[in-house]
Amino acid sequence: MSKQADKNVKVSKKKDFSPANIILWIILICVAVVQIFPLIWLIDFSLASSNEMFTTGLLIIPNKIQWGNYAKAFVDGHFLHYLRNSILINGLAVILVVVISIMAAFACKRMQWKLNNFVKTLLLLGMMIPIHATLLPNYKIYSYLHMTDTIWALLIPYVAFSLPQGLFLMTGFLDGVPVELEEAAVMDGCGIYRIVFQIVTPILKPSIATVCIMTFLNNWNEFMMASTYLSSPKWKTLPFSILEFTGQYSSNYAVQFAVMALTAAPAVIVYIVLNKHITKGVAMGAVKG
Amino acid sequence: MKKKVLSLIMATTMVAGLVTGCGDSSKTASNNSSADTAAVDTSSADNTAEADTSSADNTTGDNAATESTEDITIKLFSNLPDRKNGQGLVEQMIIDEYMDANPNVSIEVEALDEEAYKTKFKAYAMDGMPDVVSIWGQPSFLDEVLDAGVLAELNESDYADYGFVSGSLEGFKRDDKLYGLPRNTDIMLFYYNQKMFEDNGWTIPSTYDELLSLADTINAAGITPVAMDGADGWVLACYLEDLLTKVNGDCRGIISDAVSNGDFSNPVFAEATQILVDSAAAGLFQTGYDSQDYGTAMNLFTNGQAAMFYMGSWEASMALNEDIPEEIRTNIRAFTMPVVKDGVGTATDIAAWNGGGYAVSATSEVKDEAIKFLNFMYQNDKLSKYGWENGVGMSAQDQSAYMTGNETELQLQILDILNGASSVSGTPINDCGPSAFKTSIETEIQSVANGTESVEDFLSTIGQSCK
Amino acid sequence: MKKLYSNKLVILSLVFPGLLVFVFAILAPIILSVYYGFTEYSGMGTATFIGLENYKTLFHDKAFGRSLLNSLLLAIGFICIQHPIAIVVAAVLDKLQGKAEGFFRCIYFIPNVISVAVIAYLWKFIYNPDFGLLNNILHIFGVQEKINWFSADLAIWSVLIVLIWHGFGWGMLIYYTGIKNIDPVLYEAASIDGADAKTTFFRITLPLMKPVIQVNVTMAVISALKQMETVYLLTNGGPGNRTQFAANYLYQQAFKAFKYGYGNAIGVVFIIICLIITVGLNTLFADREKKA
Repeated sequence: MSKQADKNVKVSKKKDFSPANIILWIILICVAVVQIFPLIWLIDFSLASSNEMFTTGLLIIPNKIQWGNYAKAFVDGHFLHYLRNSILINGLAVILVVVISIMAAFACKRMQWKLNNFVKTLLLLGMMIPIHATLLPNYKIYSYLHMTDTIWALLIPYVAFSLPQGLFLMTGFLDGVPVELEEAAVMDGCGIYRIVFQIVTPILKPSIATVCIMTFLNNWNEFMMASTYLSSPKWKTLPFSILEFTGQYSSNYAVQFAVMALTAAPAVIVYIVLNKHITKGVAMGAVKG
Repeated sequence: MKKKVLSLIMATTMVAGLVTGCGDSSKTASNNSSADTAAVDTSSADNTAEADTSSADNTTGDNAATESTEDITIKLFSNLPDRKNGQGLVEQMIIDEYMDANPNVSIEVEALDEEAYKTKFKAYAMDGMPDVVSIWGQPSFLDEVLDAGVLAELNESDYADYGFVSGSLEGFKRDDKLYGLPRNTDIMLFYYNQKMFEDNGWTIPSTYDELLSLADTINAAGITPVAMDGADGWVLACYLEDLLTKVNGDCRGIISDAVSNGDFSNPVFAEATQILVDSAAAGLFQTGYDSQDYGTAMNLFTNGQAAMFYMGSWEASMALNEDIPEEIRTNIRAFTMPVVKDGVGTATDIAAWNGGGYAVSATSEVKDEAIKFLNFMYQNDKLSKYGWENGVGMSAQDQSAYMTGNETELQLQILDILNGASSVSGTPINDCGPSAFKTSIETEIQSVANGTESVEDFLSTIGQSCK
Repeated sequence: MKKLYSNKLVILSLVFPGLLVFVFAILAPIILSVYYGFTEYSGMGTATFIGLENYKTLFHDKAFGRSLLNSLLLAIGFICIQHPIAIVVAAVLDKLQGKAEGFFRCIYFIPNVISVAVIAYLWKFIYNPDFGLLNNILHIFGVQEKINWFSADLAIWSVLIVLIWHGFGWGMLIYYTGIKNIDPVLYEAASIDGADAKTTFFRITLPLMKPVIQVNVTMAVISALKQMETVYLLTNGGPGNRTQFAANYLYQQAFKAFKYGYGNAIGVVFIIICLIITVGLNTLFADREKKA
């Protein structure tokens, strides 16, 4: 009843062109323009040629649309290769974070042992550590173990710094899951592993989705570690290609714009397609975390 | 049930994976590398078709032959990210040529621009360097690197007939042992747009005061006088070096004394710094020069927004860069720092040095091949010749044999400047001390130039950093 | 059940991966950092133990002080500029229905999914005095002067604007979710009582959002402290050290100035500051909640 009424109130408000309402719309539109215009500008400039850029106008109307900029960015920027790396590394990181955090959450919340709270707090401590403070010592450690320039150099810190958040969400969610289900499973003679992965995991679905999204967003755009720990193009990820590319095309602005647009594209497209799920996931993660 | 098995397998592999990750990463790395060589090769700039086939051969051979030394991969770490123009192109040409001549060798290039390169190089120096690296024969760069012994010693007598300009190897030596070879002779220049000068009736300034009054005229015309890469403090420091030379002639002794005592109270420093500060305040450089990087400054000039561009002779290849509008690139000329009032230095005392070069890693697993490649690069008809043909500035070797008659006006001008020089400054001031000094002066010089720090504070702060 | 649930071996197998990652990627580096923080070490060769010397230097280091001040400025900027706008926009958005709501929410969040590397370079161009978007906009409004957005005085604000712009969607979304969680019955009651939009916002929305605001404020302060990548790519701390931040500074000291030991000392202090502030804010808010 209340929801219905609520809707009615809102619908009637929408048709109302009172000054207050117009102001609200203006606020919304202004903020939207501020948020989106730089990106429109980016795309606009990426289609012009370099020497058209020194204008005083807001946008350029290119004499000829320079699709060649994108061709150059795509080929010389090794777009597909870097994209593959990004997807692979982030995908693995997400899987690892989900699996490890479910296991740890179950152990800390359900299993009966003395140190459960201590271990949980210890693992959650990672949330407070500034990730960049570990750049220097980690570099030493990875060099010593010959792990620089391998996928592990990114995977391990990515997992480590997303794990606390994952664990936090999982334990929070696990609190609300009734123990009875597990008790029944124990009666049926299930082992712990089976309980964790077959009974509990499906129930945790909503928080798994959130953990996936948060981990992905955290790491997809990560740049500093990628540029410190990696050297050859073998495992370099998408954000790094920009740095490399701006050096390569320092004298051609338009192509730089094109490579930026191209690098931003996958995440933006995925976001627009999955908009609802992602905002929901982020909201849940953020409010709880 | 299936689900259970799957999840179990997943969990165990994850754990196992992590364990291997810690203990036995080298194995993983080598597996990865064999699977990925092809991908890497395509990404290491523009290989020719032949080079690609050769690397494909490597991939197939790699799995079987880990012990045999037949297939060799040399990792080259370069400060030349632009592989299609100028020096980067030259380097890439030689690499391709070498890989053609030695099908069993593949060369992987990692290239970053100067600032990023130097940072990453230091990280590398801490542990495990690529096989061939770009270096600078200057204390700020080389001292700590040589202390750590990460560069391989080269046999100087091997290079007797390579035609190195006399004295050019000095910066690359310690205790009479040679650790690297110079690539260029660098001169600091004001590049200018000749057509713009002629159209507006501007003339090349012969004194510093003329330069400043010219700047006023140019500003009044709504154009930026000098495009300056101020975000990278080293260019400003080179400018300071240039001014020091004009104020006092040869400053090597003064600078090395100041650095070793941490005391920059010699009035020469204050005088030269003051000129820089006044010039910046008078609007000689573009708005926001202190935060604009190399590319931005250069683009200002190459797109006709600035009349001049202060940079080293290595950018002479602008004259042949197809990305630059023809009307501009064919009109680029250069002059050196004009003389300052009451200065000791004459017009032909120039800021020039042998800076950049190459070296081989001491811990390289393919050291012999890397040195072989290094020597190949320095063969008389390689770096030097290709560089000259591609409009790059002066090499550190005798180039007189390669005069083709097709040189750009700009190249001939630079050649004249160098040949007519009565003295050269040697290593610029920011590179004369340890890297803590370099970091300090390159940061502080921005503050002093934009007026947020006084000249005295600047000099005392950089003095502090030497201690 | 109890026996099954207290099997030590099983417990170990479940927490082991998590602990391993923690020890390897967080604990070990921190211990190493503490060790190197006591040494003079260029990163190559051998490290010499020098006791608290690094920390003494750090205490007098102007650039480090500057970077903490910048973090503070940034946090204030987030709290005083970004958050009020975000709350208002979230409240307005809540009033919309259907497609328009989804559309705006989507647009506001887009900058968040774009890599910092792209954002930094994009804004470098936007701030460019010669052809940048910002000066061109001002040009339309009659400002002829070319403004240098990265001058010593303006640079930190320019950096601030980028960060506010980039993080806006995130903050907005959290407030939006908070508002959505408010029981609509309260609004109905308010409208029956004849309250206007303003009163409703200040009397109902804001007070009920308190816990969300606290979470957001904590996150803003921490992210201001941890700031590195945008600054590294946008200004690298310059001009001078005007836009220096702790993380960027330690990176510069270690990898540019070859003061690896000193860099680690900065790292240690940096971690301690982050811990203190996080714990401090949490207890502060927790106390308040109890009193309320």
